[in-house]
Amino acid sequence: MIEEAEKHTLNRWTGHRFLLLVASTILISLFLVGVALALYASSGTAQLDLSRPGYKSVRDQAVKSDTFNGFPSNGPIDSDAITQFRTLYQKQSRQVDGSSFGGSVMSDQALSIDASAGDTQK
Amino acid sequence: MKRFLVCLAVFGALLGAVFWHGIAAADDQAPMTEAHITRIRSNCIDAQATLYRLHASDALQRVNQGQLYESISTKLMAPFDSRVALARLDGATLVSLATTYDQQLTAFRTNYQLYEEGMSNLLAMNCTNQPVAFYDAVADVRTKRQAVHDNVVSLQKTIQDYQNAFESFAKRFEAEK
Repeated sequence: MIEEAEKHTLNRWTGHRFLLLVASTILISLFLVGVALALYASSGTAQLDLSRPGYKSVRDQAVKSDTFNGFPSNGPIDSDAITQFRTLYQKQSRQVDGSSFGGSVMSDQALSIDASAGDTQK
Repeated sequence: MKRFLVCLAVFGALLGAVFWHGIAAADDQAPMTEAHITRIRSNCIDAQATLYRLHASDALQRVNQGQLYESISTKLMAPFDSRVALARLDGATLVSLATTYDQQLTAFRTNYQLYEEGMSNLLAMNCTNQPVAFYDAVADVRTKRQAVHDNVVSLQKTIQDYQNAFESFAKRFEAEK
């Protein structure tokens, strides 16, 4: 009797084998997409992704690939190496913009959301 | 009597300081006027458009400047320090500055992420329905942007310090030759 019941249950699942396969595949895919999106957001990759909507206007201005080879880590320290390093370092450091992300562009005045002189407190 | 007067003066000064601080704090949290709220409501759509453009240009800055910062660390400082160590020369200052630079770069990445997330939330807000919340969010994002700017300034300073340390190293090296 028990054997018959087990057989019946087994047959019921076996009959929906394909459906089960599809459902489990979808569930696993959704889980993996969730993990990937969580990593994308938490790792800071999202902030570097200019393919996101809203960045179309600046996408072309991004430096596509870093062609700078850098200073070789192998070799002796001699006058030539020092001169080479000095040239490379000056070239890179000249491009650094120390004024970026300044606060004035986000001031209340710049956004016209400041309390104007005529305002009186309630 | 004299001691009592001194104690009284100190107590009075402390009380005055606490009272003054209370007034200053209350002034900071002064309620917004109706006119100010109306002004925010009427101008916030334009403000959001400005912030939207700023958001895009900041992302570009982050990508391009970030690449530059990374290359200075991984393609210049680290290889040079490695060579100095292999040659058994004294590069302690250079190594210390490179470590500081890496820490500052990590702080820059973290603070930019916080700033960008704050800015994205700000842009998604319905500012005409929530003008006060919008104003507060602008202030919060501005603070986060200032933190990123401070990181940029400190990174630039360390780049300059490393260059100075390198020049001292080069001078010592040439003198010892």
